[in-house]
Amino acid sequence: MGGAWFDYTVNGFVIGNIYALLAVGLALIYGVANLVNFAHGSVYVVGAYVGWAAITYLGTPLPVTLLCVVVVSALVGVGIERIGLRPLHGSSRIAPLLATIGIALVLDQVVQLLFTPDPRAVPMQVPEWRIAIGGGTVGALDLLIAGIGLISAVVLYGFLRFTKLGWAVRATAQDSDAAQQMGVDVNRVNMAVFAIASALSGVSGVLVGMYYNQISTAMSFEATLKGIVALIIGGLGNVPGAIAGSLILGLTESYGIALFGTSYRNLFAFVLLIAMLVWRPNGLFAARRSLPPEPMTGTFIARSRPVVVPRWAVVAVIALAALLPLAGQPYVLQIGANSLMYAMLALSLTLVAGTVGQVSLGHAALLAIGGYASGLLAMDAGWPVALSIPMAGLVTAALGTLLVFPAFRLTGHYVSIATLGIGEIVALVILNWTGLTRGAIGLGGIPPLEVFGLDLGSVEGTYWLCLAVLVLLALLQLRLLRSHLGRTWRAIRDDPVAARSYGVSGDRYKALAFGFGGFAAGISGAITAHAYSYINHETFGASISILALTMVILGGLGNVLGAVLGATLLIALPEAFRFLAEYRILIYGIVLLLLIRFRPQGLMGTV
Amino acid sequence: MIPLRRRSLFAGLVAGAAATRRAAAAETVHVGVSGPLTGPNAQYGAQWKDAFDLALAEVNPTAQRQIQYVFEDSQSDPRQAVAIAQKFVNDPRIVMELGDFSSPASMAASPIYQRAKLVQFGFTNSHPDFTKGGDYMWSNSISQAEEQPGLADYAIAGLGKRRLGVIHLNTDWGVTSKNLFAAAAKEKGAEVTAAEGFLPGERDFRSTLVRIRDSNPDCIVLLAYYADAATIVRQIRTLGLPQAIVAVSSVYSPKLLELGGEAVNGVHVITTFFPDEPRPEVQRFVNAFRARYNREPDTFNATAYDTMILASTLVNQYGATRAAVREGLAKVRGVPSVVFGTMQFDPNTRRVEGARYKRLVVKDGRFTLWS
Repeated sequence: MGGAWFDYTVNGFVIGNIYALLAVGLALIYGVANLVNFAHGSVYVVGAYVGWAAITYLGTPLPVTLLCVVVVSALVGVGIERIGLRPLHGSSRIAPLLATIGIALVLDQVVQLLFTPDPRAVPMQVPEWRIAIGGGTVGALDLLIAGIGLISAVVLYGFLRFTKLGWAVRATAQDSDAAQQMGVDVNRVNMAVFAIASALSGVSGVLVGMYYNQISTAMSFEATLKGIVALIIGGLGNVPGAIAGSLILGLTESYGIALFGTSYRNLFAFVLLIAMLVWRPNGLFAARRSLPPEPMTGTFIARSRPVVVPRWAVVAVIALAALLPLAGQPYVLQIGANSLMYAMLALSLTLVAGTVGQVSLGHAALLAIGGYASGLLAMDAGWPVALSIPMAGLVTAALGTLLVFPAFRLTGHYVSIATLGIGEIVALVILNWTGLTRGAIGLGGIPPLEVFGLDLGSVEGTYWLCLAVLVLLALLQLRLLRSHLGRTWRAIRDDPVAARSYGVSGDRYKALAFGFGGFAAGISGAITAHAYSYINHETFGASISILALTMVILGGLGNVLGAVLGATLLIALPEAFRFLAEYRILIYGIVLLLLIRFRPQGLMGTV
Repeated sequence: MIPLRRRSLFAGLVAGAAATRRAAAAETVHVGVSGPLTGPNAQYGAQWKDAFDLALAEVNPTAQRQIQYVFEDSQSDPRQAVAIAQKFVNDPRIVMELGDFSSPASMAASPIYQRAKLVQFGFTNSHPDFTKGGDYMWSNSISQAEEQPGLADYAIAGLGKRRLGVIHLNTDWGVTSKNLFAAAAKEKGAEVTAAEGFLPGERDFRSTLVRIRDSNPDCIVLLAYYADAATIVRQIRTLGLPQAIVAVSSVYSPKLLELGGEAVNGVHVITTFFPDEPRPEVQRFVNAFRARYNREPDTFNATAYDTMILASTLVNQYGATRAAVREGLAKVRGVPSVVFGTMQFDPNTRRVEGARYKRLVVKDGRFTLWS
């Protein structure tokens, strides 16, 4: 058995080695721009395909291949900085984060359209010899990847420490306004950093492609996710730390497989992520144990004047919406019902992210909890649907609050990453807790929507039910926001220190917000489960969390009407773009980028 | 790359124009397709399209009722699949629906099709509950209850293996397959030494393989799709594991050879579709596919092709209404099929039985019949 542990250790290092190339670039960008770059994995895919095209069509040898990849990826990085970062300078901190998500969507689609979604084999350009270590082998490519990871870290360290541009980069990282005053061209620095980081990401894409002899357009999200986890373990913005963090992540996954089996691999990675955030938010290698004072506190969310909509207009829109089923357009109605279900989710997120300032990237987990709670209550415990749905809301409120509780002391980006991790953990627990959730098989035959014998399974029924529930939840939320509770929530968001010194316990009020938000999201998940009749761990995936956040930011953080508008637009737009066929998600991404660019405070303004 | 895409776009337009011209003489019938054209599963939607176009080019010119399909991109996402379902059931032209790709998307849309009495024909839906969604849910997807005993038989009776280490995809399909395989293996007197489930998109299997190795199997069984299988086999070989490898039919694809390289030599695969099989249905399909697309077809292409041929047979034999399609599925006998030889449905399970399995082995970078 001793031999096996040695093998697990070697394997952990081998995979950690691959994560390191991603994490170093992410760390560099975070260090300078204070931004978690969600487009990083997409650049990695771009690099992989550029390398593949160079080898396949031009027959380039390895150094030339790498050169092509470096040049193209660096240009893409410059583009990301130019589109996603620079124009948004001075708007909210959340806008660039969202812009990188939009850019990722666009890049992935462009690559898919150019190269088709078929996976490709990348010809190996590195000698194939292997050395036996323990029970396994390590090849030349493993060593090359390790070498590039290490060398780039050392070169970066030297660059940051000993060159003029490097000083400028570090000065910009510490205080970009002061750096600008001292004559540093901050834009040029940012551009250089994005170019370097993206070149690194592109190179890792093509090397990993050779390593597995396979590239596909679907690998970008996984790459981003793993890079971010490694980054947190090493400490945000810490380049050498990122390498160590990647190796630790690789080892954790490998030992997780060794102890519990392959299906637990990612569960371990994300539990490690949460543990790090709670106990050592600066990463393993930071001397300080407390969080650095985030420059973004209080400014994470843009100030703006919300659009005032007169009460009669709102009433008129609700009345029109209630009459929509009479128009006899079931397809439109189905889109309406989908929008309403998502609007409930957006209500929940806009409260948590906008009003309280805890920007959650794992909100889909609340849908999953609600869906499974209601489905299991109705199927296994025989509850009527009319009772199982509100009960699912309560269960979600309780479980959701409990799960996020460890993240309450975090602020800004840390909350987003912690909730992203919690979301993944919930999905993986659902997958692995076969006894309760039936694992990957999922819940089939969930009873249709009905209220005490009244069948609501038709599209009209579903729509009216969703509309009624949404109006009730929205009124309740508006009422809460106008009460002293709403004021307290906003106080915690705007200045937690001042709030505390006035005797407001941040944690309890955050828990109240997550409780109410969990209730709304749980109801949404429950209704969805009954409408779909079948759910499994994939039904409420990470992409839904990101979609929900996009809705909320698009509508205006904290804005109840904005959340409903954002949900309606983002559900309806991809349907409206159907005539564009393969191009519709690309166009959707571009529209999203334009909206962020020209209205970063959201359509209805933040509250 | 770009010329290829453009060509297929033009081909589509030309075919569409040709179909409308002919429509004056014959009747055009519409079927709806809900499937992924963008998103992580987009490759499968693209494969369907190629096979559909091929099948229609073959049957439409001589048919009384000519089929035209309306492909809506669902990204295999349940939310979009239900909207598409609503679109199709309220489009009076549509007499039958094909798809979706994944179980969460297909089964979320089932209640809508069932209510509207429009046949939802899932040809990649092996989830055991899919056809239980109602009497309008039909499938010609290969039943794992049939396939897994065949696979176990290849490993146990064919290759004489007794200790089987299983690596399976951790999805509804993979878990169902794994459970059926384990039961079949036990019945045939072999032991499953380990069963490891991996998530879609995983690339690193080294530690999984150490676990498999330490369970001391004499054969490794892969329940995966071809792209993952290629990666796993490469890592089995770089780790120096000498065991025989046996894989399920979804691994059979020319892409396995491309992505796996030399490492996949010696891999055993069962398949329902094998291009060198002399049966006329198979040869006609394979030759036409090669001529049209200049590459080798795989199982996904074959299933999609079969499905479109079936759709054409149904509307031409039984009539171009939703009710006729539903009636026809229960009655139809002996539809020529690449996968099944001939297709007929069991009206109780609403599935096809009697897929023909071939045993293959990869030799010198080619699939050959195993003997």
